[in-house]
Amino acid sequence: MSNRSVLSGGRVTSAKLDREFNDKPPVQTVGSGRRHITTEQLVERLKSSAEAGDVSGGLRTLSDYVGADGYLLARHELNSENGLDNVISSDWPFDLVRKRGTELITRLSRTTELEKCLSVLQPAFSMLPEDSALPAGASREYCTIIFSTGRNRYVLMFICPTDVILSQQRLRETGVLASYFASLLFHDTIKIGRDMDLTDRELECLYWIAEGKTSDEIATIIGISKNTINNYITSVMRKTATRTRSEAIAYAVRHNLV
Amino acid sequence: MPMKETRTVSDQMKRQSKAVSRSDFFPRLVAMQRFAHARNFAVLKTNNSGLPSRRKLTCILDNFPTDGEIAASSILEAYGTFLLEHLEVSSLPLLWNGRDDAQTAETPDFAAFVIRLKNRVLPVCGIALPVRLGSMGNGYTVFAANYLDITSEIIIDLHARSHQMMMDLLVLDERRSAPDEVLSNREIACLQLAGDGLVSEEIAGQLGLSVHTVNAYLASATVKLDSVNRIQAIAKAIRLGYIA
Repeated sequence: MSNRSVLSGGRVTSAKLDREFNDKPPVQTVGSGRRHITTEQLVERLKSSAEAGDVSGGLRTLSDYVGADGYLLARHELNSENGLDNVISSDWPFDLVRKRGTELITRLSRTTELEKCLSVLQPAFSMLPEDSALPAGASREYCTIIFSTGRNRYVLMFICPTDVILSQQRLRETGVLASYFASLLFHDTIKIGRDMDLTDRELECLYWIAEGKTSDEIATIIGISKNTINNYITSVMRKTATRTRSEAIAYAVRHNLV
Repeated sequence: MPMKETRTVSDQMKRQSKAVSRSDFFPRLVAMQRFAHARNFAVLKTNNSGLPSRRKLTCILDNFPTDGEIAASSILEAYGTFLLEHLEVSSLPLLWNGRDDAQTAETPDFAAFVIRLKNRVLPVCGIALPVRLGSMGNGYTVFAANYLDITSEIIIDLHARSHQMMMDLLVLDERRSAPDEVLSNREIACLQLAGDGLVSEEIAGQLGLSVHTVNAYLASATVKLDSVNRIQAIAKAIRLGYIA
């Protein structure tokens, strides 16, 4: 993959990619001591936050575990125009969330689907602009982790403290735990149905068209008339406000409908 | 995708390199299996269909013995439907107990973060870790055993490794399906505009080319993307990240 610097504005892979997970770093190198918690405490606290429905409490626990100075959790949606709507919870100063958070989230949405798939649970480091208003003791460096819970994709950001390097291994673990936490808490907000009210037949036609089949061929495959197929396509184009078949397919691929 | 009648030399080489690389995943999986103190592993992957009715899980790698009491397919038969549904809504690990009383899968410190499948269906107990990368690269890594006592730390570590492995598998698959020849800038521009809903005449007007040239570019892009028509080419170009 040529373009792995998905989340970058600045430098990306500051820490080494211990990809095989063999060299698990010693626990005590992380956490700067002041808010250090053990895995047991972490699991216990996360569990009670999940039971109480306390999103910020759970995220604070994760932030402490990883040794960060502040968190931001947002939904990572396709073509999100207003990033602020997607922010679920953050303990960053409001100005920072408003000015920078939206910008960062919008930047993330400008990557291809494959790049997004390959960035899941890969901690990426970048720098905030110089004029950002930061919490006390925080550096301009922040870390981004993307994780999925069912069909929903989330982005979790941590502000790094000035004097400590966050462990890649621990950041990944935090991403996994955050996805468990989100599975328990946002269970009801997960979209099971589709955004658009396309029918199963319409989706089936779209699927076959994307595979390069003509109306005639689809008619044979599904066993209905060619004119009916064409009617389905017309109705898809009307519902998705697209002008040509090509655009309708492009739309369907972009929105993971086929 | 239909199998080609005539296989070229490069096709065979690709096939071979694929086999070699896939087997490279075995040692990693065996290491994970040992780490969990399990007896066997299986990697399940969903096909790429957006249609719920056509979506299904298949086993792409496993080390279940061929003459054993249980095969990877037994897991799919027993839990396949639930596994697919679960993958759509949650990332929580799944645990199940086996038929025998002693065949239990336990995680005393992490019970709040796992979901239990129907017990006593299979002659083994086990754990299934869901991996969802996005529109592709989704599935499970499964570890089966006679007895599992697995801590939160091990589960989280295995789950992170499972994600990494699914990503490496995805890269492998994408490299395989990537076009032999690189698309030219003109071809990409034409595909992009066609995907934006412009007809050939409009694309020609916008790029300052003749309609015939535009059609020629779209045709050559279609060949390079191993597609039968321009619509399939557009779909592939988006999936491969050539156009937005």
